[in-house]
Amino acid sequence: MLSFNVLNVENLKNRVAVVAAGIVSPLGSGLEETRHSLRRATDCVTPVSSFDVSHCRCKTAAQIPDQRLLARRQKNRKNARLHRASHMMIAALAELLERDPGFRPEVTVIGTTSGGMSFGENYYRALHRQENLRRSPEWIANYPPQKPVLDAQSEFGISAPCFVIANACASGTNAIGRAFESVRSGKNERVLTGGYDALSELVFVGFDSLQAATPEKCRPFDRNRSGMVLGEGAALLALENLQSAQKRGAEILGEIIGYGISTDNHHLTQPDPSGSGPRRAMEQALESAACAADQVDYINAHGTATPFNDAAEGKAILELFGRVPVSSTKSMIGHSLGAAGAIEAVICLLALQSQFLPPNINFRETDPDLALNIVANESRDAKIDVALSNSFGFGGTNASVLIRKAVA
Amino acid sequence: MSARIAGMGWVTPLGRGVDEVWARLLRGEEAAAQIIPGPDGTRSYQGFLVPKEASNNLPPHPRLRRASAISRFAAAAGLDALAQAKSGNLKIEMESLALVFAVSNGGVAYTKRFYHGIVESGAQSASPLLFPETVFNAPASHLAAILGINGATYTIVGDGAVGILGIKMASELLETGAANHCLVVAAEEADWLLCDAYHKWRLLKSSTPLEPFFDPPRGAILSEGAGAVLLSAEGNVKIDSISPGGNFSHQRDAVEIVNRILQDLHDQAACIVASANGTFVDLAEREAIRQESPQSIVYSPKSALGESVGASALWQVIVAACALGGKQLPPMLHAARNTGLRFPGREAEVGPAAIVSSCGLNQQAAGLRLST
Repeated sequence: MLSFNVLNVENLKNRVAVVAAGIVSPLGSGLEETRHSLRRATDCVTPVSSFDVSHCRCKTAAQIPDQRLLARRQKNRKNARLHRASHMMIAALAELLERDPGFRPEVTVIGTTSGGMSFGENYYRALHRQENLRRSPEWIANYPPQKPVLDAQSEFGISAPCFVIANACASGTNAIGRAFESVRSGKNERVLTGGYDALSELVFVGFDSLQAATPEKCRPFDRNRSGMVLGEGAALLALENLQSAQKRGAEILGEIIGYGISTDNHHLTQPDPSGSGPRRAMEQALESAACAADQVDYINAHGTATPFNDAAEGKAILELFGRVPVSSTKSMIGHSLGAAGAIEAVICLLALQSQFLPPNINFRETDPDLALNIVANESRDAKIDVALSNSFGFGGTNASVLIRKAVA
Repeated sequence: MSARIAGMGWVTPLGRGVDEVWARLLRGEEAAAQIIPGPDGTRSYQGFLVPKEASNNLPPHPRLRRASAISRFAAAAGLDALAQAKSGNLKIEMESLALVFAVSNGGVAYTKRFYHGIVESGAQSASPLLFPETVFNAPASHLAAILGINGATYTIVGDGAVGILGIKMASELLETGAANHCLVVAAEEADWLLCDAYHKWRLLKSSTPLEPFFDPPRGAILSEGAGAVLLSAEGNVKIDSISPGGNFSHQRDAVEIVNRILQDLHDQAACIVASANGTFVDLAEREAIRQESPQSIVYSPKSALGESVGASALWQVIVAACALGGKQLPPMLHAARNTGLRFPGREAEVGPAAIVSSCGLNQQAAGLRLST
């Protein structure tokens, strides 16, 4: 086993509880809607409506309708200026604090890849076309990646210092991992963590240009998989020292028990085909949790459905875990980039709470090179105590977190 | 365990290399502003740009073939910091080295080129070569590949305070044993689009000099480059304390958070390397310093080097470390008089501690204290 990035044992005194969570994704708003949609294997992918995709190979994404996002928001000038990513973060934090009004973070660690990118696009288009730039100050002010985090905190009177991690598609899981290490090491008692990303034209066209996005259905791990679809959303988790959470009578949704991170230097956008990068991240998560591979009952895979990514991840999973049940929920909600790891961690928590395996939809044919135990097309009841969530991204960043069911 | 600075790298409009840039600052030099022309029919801006030769002499690594300026600056500063640490006989094993890359605006030039293609000619013309370079963590990925880092690599984004947050994250990686050494690199590239955006945001002035601490503020001048510090258990400069600070909703509230940071880092004998850049930041720092640390000598490097946003806090840290080493600060250029602040003078000697105050332009502020 590798020794790098495994914390000193003497620093590992604290258990890390998840005491609340909030989520808004194409599956729905809130934990209950999300749980329901997962159970029903809802396909959330629809034609893109917010920008022109007529010249793209892929024309679909999993989107959150604006009316759902803004339904509960007061119609005032301030809210009108905010980016929809801010509204997503506010919605997720509102749910989290509704579930645990006593949670006050000392630090916030959030993952994202593109911040308020569509405002940057508005600005550039207006400049290029010499259109009215009257709204440019608000586009510029609301464009930076930390802004949706600060907006959400400000909405609820929180002023914790914010660490915004932009490790591409691994950002959300890296954020949870850093937050976990911070509480576990005793640096902080309570950390707010998660991730967000809103769909934008630049990013959509970017993945399309790489031919990483599919014109067909998103079929992770399928023999005929042809690529990803994009998604969007936000998810937040309230992490707290278990003892402190129990002392104040907080509800425990689950425990984060391990985290691993690795960097794969093979290529800026493609994983090492050997799967060594993902494997190292998963091994480290296991080691940091002092957990054996056969104790893991479910893996929520990164599973973007691109041929290379699924092959590398699948190989690493097979080598380490054998036939453990695996699904990629991106088949339902697309790839929400910086939010993906956070959304998928919340999905793992729901699976652990309700004892079911979330489905990998659109699955038709097993890849003969990947003899994985895919949770194909329908959710399944199962006894699961420990779940692993994977996220891998551009730049070769790989991250894994291990989540355990709350012990009654 | 307190983290220490074992090596530093500096790429600035005044050149590359800690010794070279520091000597020029001590001589009272400032970078020469250059014109950054815009598209036809638009205004141009002045900015402080890194001289071409400053990012030469990089290893012929395939990752740098198409890399943007920001990636080249980051690589140059990061490699220099490691080389300096190794020249001090520090043994660094790559498998125990982590990388934290701090940035604010990121690879603007490539992002603009990529999106321009879409706006001008449609999605079908989007370049698959450019897109990966637009991602915030591209510079960190290139540097990790050059150095052979296969463990923890983090990119964090924020405003001007992000470099301090990067050092905070790095010091926690060391303290918890997740890494034995951590290279913190912060970089930024200047571009007309950024200048225009900051101008429309009413934070930029149209021509040099950058004049700190005026009331009302006169505006900042953007610059570019990178800074890097290698954190380790060994090194001449110790990071005593880091305040991750907090956030302010309105510019007028910045003083409160800067005040709190100075209280956290309290040391009346320490000099203060401020982030004053010709904007509201100056008023917040001036007020907070007058309240919390009126006897401290105050210096801002931004009148000489410009506002490098995501790289700026690391530049301040390097200034503070150099000041502690040489017991002196450069002259404060173009600052307002009668501010109630003590600027460096001939008689002023730097004591054993220095505070870095970093108040960003977009609601974040943080600080740290160094000592020898």
